[in-house]
Amino acid sequence: MFVAAEMRQFQQIFTRPFGLAKGSLCKRVERECKDRHTGMDCRYPEHREVNLGHPPWRLGSGNPCRDDGQNLKLTTLTGGIDLRWFRLIAPLLILSLCCTIVHGKEQEIRLFGWSDYLVQEVLDRFTLETGIRVIYTTYESNESMYAKLKLLDGGGYDLAIPSTYFIDKMRKEGMLQPIDKDKLPHYKNLDPRQLDKPFDPGNHYSIPYLWGTTGIGVYTAKFELRTIQTWADLWKPMFLGRLLLPNDMREVFHVAFRVLGFSGNTTDPAQIRSAYALLKKLLPNVRLFNSDAADVLFVTGEADAGVIWNGAAHRIQREEPAFRYVYPAEGVIIWMDSLVIPKNAPHAELAHRLIDFLLRPDIAKLSSEKVGSATPNAEAVKLLSPELRNDTTVYPSDEVLAKGEYQTDIGASITIYTEYWEKLKAE
Amino acid sequence: MTKLKSTYLALIFGFLYLPMAVLVLFSFNSSKYGLRWESYTLEWYRSLATDETLVWAAFNTLLVATLAASLACVVGTLGAIGIFRYRFKGRAVLQGLLSVTLMSPDIVMAVSLLVLFIALHVKLGFLTLLLSHTTFCLPFVTMTVLSRLEGFDPHLIEAAEDLGADEWQAMRQVVLPLAMPAILAGWLLSFTISLDDVVVSFFVTGPEFEVLPLKIYSMVRLGVKPEVNALASLMFAVSLLVVSSAQCLLQRK
Amino acid sequence: MANYFKTSVILLLSFWLAVFVLVPNLLVLAASFLGRDESGFINWSFGFDNYLRLFDPIYLRVFGHSLGLALMTTLTCLGLGYPFAYFLAQFRTSLRPVLLTLVVVPFWTNSLVRTYAIRSLLAAKGLVNNALIAIGLIDEPVRLLYTRSAVLIGMVYILLPFMILPLYSAIEKLDRRFVEAAADLGAGRLRRFWHVTLPLTLPGVIAGSVLVFMPALGLFYIADVLGGSRNLLVGNFLKDQFLDARDWPFGAAASMVLIGLLFLFLSAYAYSLKRFAAKDDRQAQ
Repeated sequence: MFVAAEMRQFQQIFTRPFGLAKGSLCKRVERECKDRHTGMDCRYPEHREVNLGHPPWRLGSGNPCRDDGQNLKLTTLTGGIDLRWFRLIAPLLILSLCCTIVHGKEQEIRLFGWSDYLVQEVLDRFTLETGIRVIYTTYESNESMYAKLKLLDGGGYDLAIPSTYFIDKMRKEGMLQPIDKDKLPHYKNLDPRQLDKPFDPGNHYSIPYLWGTTGIGVYTAKFELRTIQTWADLWKPMFLGRLLLPNDMREVFHVAFRVLGFSGNTTDPAQIRSAYALLKKLLPNVRLFNSDAADVLFVTGEADAGVIWNGAAHRIQREEPAFRYVYPAEGVIIWMDSLVIPKNAPHAELAHRLIDFLLRPDIAKLSSEKVGSATPNAEAVKLLSPELRNDTTVYPSDEVLAKGEYQTDIGASITIYTEYWEKLKAE
Repeated sequence: MTKLKSTYLALIFGFLYLPMAVLVLFSFNSSKYGLRWESYTLEWYRSLATDETLVWAAFNTLLVATLAASLACVVGTLGAIGIFRYRFKGRAVLQGLLSVTLMSPDIVMAVSLLVLFIALHVKLGFLTLLLSHTTFCLPFVTMTVLSRLEGFDPHLIEAAEDLGADEWQAMRQVVLPLAMPAILAGWLLSFTISLDDVVVSFFVTGPEFEVLPLKIYSMVRLGVKPEVNALASLMFAVSLLVVSSAQCLLQRK
Repeated sequence: MANYFKTSVILLLSFWLAVFVLVPNLLVLAASFLGRDESGFINWSFGFDNYLRLFDPIYLRVFGHSLGLALMTTLTCLGLGYPFAYFLAQFRTSLRPVLLTLVVVPFWTNSLVRTYAIRSLLAAKGLVNNALIAIGLIDEPVRLLYTRSAVLIGMVYILLPFMILPLYSAIEKLDRRFVEAAADLGAGRLRRFWHVTLPLTLPGVIAGSVLVFMPALGLFYIADVLGGSRNLLVGNFLKDQFLDARDWPFGAAASMVLIGLLFLFLSAYAYSLKRFAAKDDRQAQ
């Protein structure tokens, strides 16, 4: 087969650094002509009569000086080693396997959350106080989180932080396990106005963590603030190739719906189609889609304007004072993220401890400060510094909230949304 | 050697090495976003050393690479011996399947393996990763061993059998030593490919078993974190060390 | 005893390949005809819808872009790599192992790390832009990242060593006497190259091209890191279908189409090899 020729090439390519360009990993050792099992050297007559003690068909059972593949030594990395040395590797492998098993017994939990919410300080404090290690894995959108959890059949992760509309969906599909509020003494710190919402009556499956808004961010050194005050302004030709949009289907479509005057949670196929047509026209203005690292992209100058979360906006403002977060005139998008425990979480017990830790006022305050989003923890809000409490990026005014819209579950229409979203990204 | 040719060589070398050199340089930069040179610091290397998850991820990667390469060598060598030695009905089909595996892009293989594991309700984790890596290493080993075996005198085995060896002994004591260089080359090849694999690992691994390439991928996606610079520089240094020491050790022989 | 060994060895390989190669691909084929399920993975509704959906110009463009990008990458690598390998083969023998090692080192470095390095270089406040501003060629940073050219540069950077090494192997084996003979017979430099050097090194060219073209179709992480999550390539598109949009049947159909296209390419490659060999034979007669 023609593949065999390629295979020889491959072999040569990879053994090249070891100086074995001709494809052979073995060098004939000229010095020794001794049979490696009996030590006899057939060049000397007194050795020839001796029964060599191994079967006649064994390679090299005649003259050890013959080049038949038996008196070869392997010249690999360490040069001239006998193949029998490989028996050392087996115990090493077994040892390493044991180490892996031992490691698995350490106390650790896996938290699956938005990249925005990774506050190393909070996690380190938790580890310091309880000895439990937290491994934080990130996702960019609720859809990718949901897809991953579906693949793992509700196992693998101990905690996740979906948005409200996905909690509804996951709860109905039985992907979550109930949270035992008896294990959460700090649960009472939460603001009652944020509890017992329609997507999770009684909060049996979710504990609110942070809430915030999605609006427009603009670097005023590049674009004047007044040029970008509404969602519709994003379509202006002056933003050609400059915008950053979140890699989140619902958010992007929500923007288009607001411009067209529809609800952000519509399930009408005609409305969705018109939103798609409108978004197609926005595509030339889009430089990239990214939710993971929006703040980094603004600070490093890759994006100058776009749609971002208020937490990211707050963090950017700390580095670049010329950055502004704008609440669009048509109405901002409001979301809330809650902690949930997947159905087959390996360490549900430890997960409860982390939830309780996060509900502590001082920790909730720290989270809100570091992330830049608002906390639903009433006790924590009391502890906040005045600048943060009055910072409209983090804690929007009531008028803004009144005009804004929460995202809700859209049920089966998600397939229509997904189809159009994939088409948008493929252009 | 004309000036022009040397310049061209230097240019291409520059292209290959400049990004890595800049990376190494900025891993010592104390600026958080790695943009302007601020001051010299080893802070990022220190935080790297204390990051346990990275160390475990590196260990996991090496473990999977070693095991997958070894397993692929066992299955592949035996398979190659079978294909070389015997004429049986499905021989062409097997060779065809091996070529298909060799030529498939990673993503196609990753997708098909994911579908398989989900259909069989196998938990994604160490086992699925090991099996997947072994599968894509398998054709490399088989083809390498096969091409070496085909270069050998078939009469050797006949001679052994005439002298009284049975099938298993003939294999173990005649064919295997002859094929050993190819087996080792195949092992090395499989080890390298498994270490560097991102695509297949991305699809079939579970959160309980982290591998280094995927950790780097998520770190890279999260933006310009200086620790990534330090990690990248370390990995570059390691590969530089491995290749040059291999070269040096062999020159000495 | 002979039969034991023979059957067990053949069964082992067959079993492994059947379970991990044949069955998965058959499953994907089967899935491509089924329907999408919102909360599960697939819906047992049979139909050709997925393939029909793929014939939308947007998706066809994705396939076209991927093939085009892979081809461009291969040609660029060839264009850059062939002279490099040629000059390297002419270099002083004393320094050549060192230079070869230098070529191989990036090859042994993790490709993600190298992609990250390229991203740092091309960033708005990265080295390239800073240098250009310092020289005074531009005032504002040029938007290099998150474009198709960035993805091309990234691909070429990662895959160049894969092209250089087979080319070098082939060029090293080239018997100079053929070229000299052609020169003696009166051929100019171009003719010597086109009629003697190139055909003799063609196996290396083809091996290198295959080694570059195949990965170029599937390396989605390069397009992800350097391209800004736009699904310009089939790799990204497949990843999205399976891990984000969860439309497994649609992704399976796309995967099948990709396999079909590759099969076509490989058949063309095998056919051209046969024709090339046959032409050689005929010319020799």
